[in-house]
Amino acid sequence: MKDNTGSTPSVQSMENFLASSVHDMKNSVSMLICGLEKALAAADSTRLSTYAGLVQMNHEAKRINSNLIQLLTLYKLGQKIYPFDPQSMGLDDFLQAVVAQYMELLKSHGINLQVHADPGLYWYFDEDLISGVIGNALNNAMRYTRDRINIIARENNGKLELRIEDNGEGYPVQMLQESVDNMRGVDFQGGSTGLGFYFSAMVARMHHNHSRLGELKLENGGSLGGACFVLYLP
Amino acid sequence: MNTNPLNLSTPDLDFSGKTVLIVDDYQEMRSIFRDVLRSCGADVKKIYTAANGNEAVGLLKRVQFDIVLCDLNLGSGKNGQQVLEEAKYRSLVGSSCLWIMISAEKTSEAVKGAAEYQPDAYLLKPVTEASLRMRLARIWAKKEAFAEIHQAMKQSDYSKAMSLCDQRLASDKANAADFLRTKCDLLLITGEYDRAKEVLESILAERDLPWAKAALAKIFLKESDLDAAKVLLEETAEANPAFLEAHDLLAQTLQAMGDLEGASNVLERAVKLSPNSVIRQKNLGNVAMKMGKLENAERAFRKSVSLGEHSVLKTADAYVGLAKVCGANKNPDEAIKALGQLVKNFVTEEVRLKALAVEGMVYHQSGDTEKAKQIAAELNQFPAIGNIHPDSERSLDIARLLMATGDKEKAITLLQGEIRNNPENVTLLQDVAEIFDQAGMGEEGNKLIETLRKEAIALMNRGVLLISKGQYEEAISAMRDARAAMPINVRVLLNLAYVVITYMQKNGPAPELIKEARSSLLAANDLSPGEPRFIRLMATLNEFTPSV
Repeated sequence: MKDNTGSTPSVQSMENFLASSVHDMKNSVSMLICGLEKALAAADSTRLSTYAGLVQMNHEAKRINSNLIQLLTLYKLGQKIYPFDPQSMGLDDFLQAVVAQYMELLKSHGINLQVHADPGLYWYFDEDLISGVIGNALNNAMRYTRDRINIIARENNGKLELRIEDNGEGYPVQMLQESVDNMRGVDFQGGSTGLGFYFSAMVARMHHNHSRLGELKLENGGSLGGACFVLYLP
Repeated sequence: MNTNPLNLSTPDLDFSGKTVLIVDDYQEMRSIFRDVLRSCGADVKKIYTAANGNEAVGLLKRVQFDIVLCDLNLGSGKNGQQVLEEAKYRSLVGSSCLWIMISAEKTSEAVKGAAEYQPDAYLLKPVTEASLRMRLARIWAKKEAFAEIHQAMKQSDYSKAMSLCDQRLASDKANAADFLRTKCDLLLITGEYDRAKEVLESILAERDLPWAKAALAKIFLKESDLDAAKVLLEETAEANPAFLEAHDLLAQTLQAMGDLEGASNVLERAVKLSPNSVIRQKNLGNVAMKMGKLENAERAFRKSVSLGEHSVLKTADAYVGLAKVCGANKNPDEAIKALGQLVKNFVTEEVRLKALAVEGMVYHQSGDTEKAKQIAAELNQFPAIGNIHPDSERSLDIARLLMATGDKEKAITLLQGEIRNNPENVTLLQDVAEIFDQAGMGEEGNKLIETLRKEAIALMNRGVLLISKGQYEEAISAMRDARAAMPINVRVLLNLAYVVITYMQKNGPAPELIKEARSSLLAANDLSPGEPRFIRLMATLNEFTPSV
């Protein structure tokens, strides 16, 4: 066995440094987002270019934040210390809170978003994790859609079905064939790290009831004819 | 699509009349929160800020707040949870106050257990105007829905709380899950275990909910079905590693089964998840000490002591444990130091006596027999009961010292009292047996425990047996005798009240008997607060005297 205590850091200490740095970065990004929100509130929305620039910056900061959260969550799941906490949630309240973060950005990109939830639909899930997953899906949809996104929440066959659909070109065939679990390939050029899908699939599987597990599916078609990101929770 | 799209505008909340407290150790964060609140419509003059726990408590004492936004991590000194504990413990916040705990990441404290000191919500950073509005609107609605039920529970009017719960369950779908959970809590408080089981099993058939499994396990524990509790809790803790209540209950179960190793493993895991609980660290210390792992015990007790430094929930037991472990570890100076801190932090006669008993034992262990004897003699002068609240652990400590210093007769008398008053407490009887064993009287001790235990149980139940035969007067006099023989036996006290109340139900109320039943019940509740039987008997007794 190779001695790891010498000049090269051990995997263990690297892991801890990464986790503590991510935590620290997350605090900074939180401050950044709050500062940007403040600037946005003060900015003159009629001076379009400045305003749109701020909206985009704010969005990028939020993307960094959610990536950091996902990294930290994956680390904690690995250590078995993530406080997984499914609670009964009203889907309309929940989705309203999730999309509120994106309204400005959607407006500035000219994207029309509609949310359809079965009236009075309640389900058990971990609010923080699922809002992270929907955030991933929305970020993706915003990038590839032409101008419309639908979020649909309904009960289907004893499971909660959450669909994020757009009217873009849809997922490439190769992605539809691959199992979501294997999507870890890093594509730096395309800006996809695979983290989002990996995280989403993992979160889906963490949700279980009796022996049934949650799952993530990617489809093309749906109500808008584009990509469909579909989450089933038991 | 068969549904109309949701209205996506953020809810309007009226902050204008609200008094708000912001607690954060970073100046930038405080001003960010202030801005967010201002853009929500809050009046700047009604926004207060505090940079640390002590400042926050100071403000909470002076001002009645409607909303508190408190960072969980406040640097050195009190943390956010300890500020909340102090505010609730000292009733500095009213029941309508919304307490929002803010943290950088999700913590296991946020996984709602049975903890008494819970905020209304946890919010993750960054807190934006939209997220704050949404959460507050939801929490406000929930708080309102539960206000009447919590009020009834506070007044111990559990039947009212239950019927309110049932009403709301039928109409309020948004909070159904929480009403159901509250209903189960109520059934557990009032001891209606069969009904609670029915409700829990129907919940569990629908969905695997960790809190429901933990509640079911609690019933098994009450019914002394340790095996069933263990299986259920192991399953729950395994599937939900972050659900700390399951770990704590499992450790308690394993300890009752004599599996100290198992209990300590479970607690170690829980402590890794949530290292900041004064009580859990103390429990870990106790288990480690029983296993003879003195170093681990010392570490846990020290942690509990230092956590308690800023907490209203600090416990004398951690100091006592630390002193004992240092004493056993041949470190008398540290032990005496811990006892010094103990009497400084808890200025009561009870604690002073306890400290004295442990101190004597420390001297005995370090070979200073002279001092040990001196303290034993001092303890001997105290009257057995009097104004001092009975405390079994202290009695055992005194008995231990008396045994060690040669006053066996007095020690045995003390131990006999403990057996008679707690004949059903397995852990305590084990401790008693161990004291006899260490004095080289193991066999004698076991015999004594067995005889006294059987006698006591027979006496405890005689009244109830006589009642079932219709011999009411005899039942009362039997239980009065039992109370005289076992004055601080909770079951005797409750059974005396029960036979008196049953007598009055048959023969009509009498002021003297009402008084007797009440005093007996209150004594029982003082010894073991909140027993379901106490709650039920008190409710029945109050029916005789509607004016009280």
